[in-house]
Amino acid sequence: MTISGLGPHGERASPPERVSLLPEDLAAARAATRRVAIVLHTLDGDWTKQQISGMLGIFGDCGVVVTEVIDCGFSVNRQVSELDRLIVAAPDAIVALPVANEQVAAAFRRVSEAGIRLILLENVPTGLLPGTHYTSLVSSDNFGLGKMAAAGLAPHLVEGAAVGVLGFAADFFATNEREIAFANWLQANRPDVRSHVRRFGDMDEAAELALQMIADQPDISAFFVVWDTPANAVATRLQSAGYTPAMATVDLGEDVAIALAAGRQFVSVAAQLPFQQGVAAACTTILALLDRTVPAWIAIPGISVAQSNVADSFQIIWRKPAPREALRLLGLAP
Amino acid sequence: MDANAAAESSRLRGKGRPRTSETAIPSLIEILNLIRTERASTRQELEREAELGRAVVADRLQLLSDLNLVDESELGHATGGRAPRLVKFSARRGLILLATLDQMSIGVGVSDLSGNLLTQHHEAANLTAPVAQLADRLTSLFNWCLERQVTPTAPWAISLSVPGTVPSGRNDAFMTTTPPVLPAWEDFPLVETLTRQFGVPVWIRSSVETMAMGELHAGAGHGLRSMLFVKVGRRIGAGIVCDGQLYRGAQGAAGLIGALPVVSDGVTGTLDVMAGSDMIEREGRTAAESGRSPVLADLLRRGAEITSIEVSQAAQIGDPAASAILSKSGHLIGQVVATLANALNPEIIVLSGTLVQTNDNLLAGIRETVYGASHPLVTRDLRIICSQMGSSAGLVGAARVASEALFSPSFLKDWILHGKPNMHPGFVAFHGPADKAEPPPPNHLPPSDPGRIAP
Repeated sequence: MTISGLGPHGERASPPERVSLLPEDLAAARAATRRVAIVLHTLDGDWTKQQISGMLGIFGDCGVVVTEVIDCGFSVNRQVSELDRLIVAAPDAIVALPVANEQVAAAFRRVSEAGIRLILLENVPTGLLPGTHYTSLVSSDNFGLGKMAAAGLAPHLVEGAAVGVLGFAADFFATNEREIAFANWLQANRPDVRSHVRRFGDMDEAAELALQMIADQPDISAFFVVWDTPANAVATRLQSAGYTPAMATVDLGEDVAIALAAGRQFVSVAAQLPFQQGVAAACTTILALLDRTVPAWIAIPGISVAQSNVADSFQIIWRKPAPREALRLLGLAP
Repeated sequence: MDANAAAESSRLRGKGRPRTSETAIPSLIEILNLIRTERASTRQELEREAELGRAVVADRLQLLSDLNLVDESELGHATGGRAPRLVKFSARRGLILLATLDQMSIGVGVSDLSGNLLTQHHEAANLTAPVAQLADRLTSLFNWCLERQVTPTAPWAISLSVPGTVPSGRNDAFMTTTPPVLPAWEDFPLVETLTRQFGVPVWIRSSVETMAMGELHAGAGHGLRSMLFVKVGRRIGAGIVCDGQLYRGAQGAAGLIGALPVVSDGVTGTLDVMAGSDMIEREGRTAAESGRSPVLADLLRRGAEITSIEVSQAAQIGDPAASAILSKSGHLIGQVVATLANALNPEIIVLSGTLVQTNDNLLAGIRETVYGASHPLVTRDLRIICSQMGSSAGLVGAARVASEALFSPSFLKDWILHGKPNMHPGFVAFHGPADKAEPPPPNHLPPSDPGRIAP
């Protein structure tokens, strides 16, 4: 599967196979005990759990000890203070998802200046360069996800339809790419469709903004929300207010999977592969610790999910069976 | 404060003093540029660096503050006595819209007036598509970048990095016509369209020039006085930095090393043809079809298109045929770069381009040849490295191009008292009044420079 986006500095993507570990890599990694810390935006949600699970398995295989897994609770201040604390603890590497750009850039610079290898997930703080300030970025092909969501939604849009796009207010590489790609795909393939864009800061705001957008533009017949949790909040809030627009989003959370199976609002989901991303992040970390050359950007392609493939896609993404209710709605379980 | 109020403020402060703009503006410009380039950050440093008296510095700072170009709200560290008030350039007063256009991708971004990148985005694009489409895409992405700013701020300039030589000439103050960088550009007024859309002056430089500027100011060349920047793609070009300045040449065509003849396997051709990405792609495809390269042959069997990137990636994972192709290219480029290195004696050679960044063979080939073919003194401390900035170098460099052009004394002198560059008389004549509500320039200009200390 091809990668449609370019990296945060215009890099061409390298596939996850580029950081595959060879038997000699595993042996070399095991020869010395290394310590790695994982710093995430949150520890809630399946996406994070799968990322951690993917990383922990590979680190375990290589004899690398994960000393801590830190929950930043989406807080800039907490991430900055945790990074400063980790500089003192001095692990060999940190795998981190930066919760913001400019506000956390200085803290991440301090980590790299302290000689700690830095592998970033999904986002690169402003001004940080690969090879100089961090080793690699490992992310989904977020541009590809945005295009996928638009392509999946397009058949459900009548000629001249209006679409509400709810982007994320924070300047964040992953969500920016999805938003741009969604609009770009529509512009190129469905120039008749009009987009109305607003950006939310938190989940509650997303739902309120959606209601307000429908009040301002009553002809909005569909929404694209840049990830599933706020998308689900939007769908629920709109439904309780009597609106059932077609919905497209990124990531197949349980609620979205059930709604997709039921044919209720959600019609198009572009899903990340968080377990595979965790594996790629761990492999990149191991290779970097072994002083092997690693690419500046490793991108993991997403998968397009519709009602027809929701059950098997759920298994691929979350490595567990689809929710019982989804299977029942699809006629696959009693 | 608007320009009228600034003028009134200046009039009151300058009461009883002679006022002639011709003598005041040079010191105003000098002080602003000392602050902007961080060569002075307190009133004392300004007095010393500009060789101006305390009263003049105070007066000019007040006017610059009234025009929202400087900020004196922060305190510095006390070294005995009161902490000095820090004078800082208001870099967020305006934004610079940036774009890098490449054969296969475009990058857009926004920087502050000091050239610090605030937002960037890169995406695949086809530069042979109609220019009107490109202009639409740039406009959409620029608007998106502006919407993303937490504090809504107006753009002050647009700076483009393009894949071709931009002749230097009488348009250098800002662009008023679209240079025919690519064949399709002859029929579409890109510069005029962007100027009309955003109401700001436009600057354009070649991608090699902007990337060299970016590398010099924010990358491997930061703080160095001499640097050779080499971009390897379909075309191979060099950016030459001497004494901390980019050398453009008489026509803006310095560094077109891709046009130099080289000989390989008894065949003579230009460096572009013999070592550029087209050659790598062509030879890679032949190696795939003949089975000489197992990795590329496997890719071909799976229906993949063999481009120079595939050849580069195959070489990186040890494919002998792909490695030989990259190595040959590296040696040819190295021969030309060695000649330049001997002529210029740079501190660093920075190699850039997707091929260089995805593959070590090319770098190794260039290094081997340059070290082998240069005078020992030239290579004694010479570093040859790959750029880590990717396409960001082009955006950062484009920001520096616009920032330096906006604040060059010859351009700045005509807009500084208006507070915004789109009120520059030359730009107003080209584009029309930027904002009908904009106040006229101050009637009362700041006092002259009685405090200038004779050298």
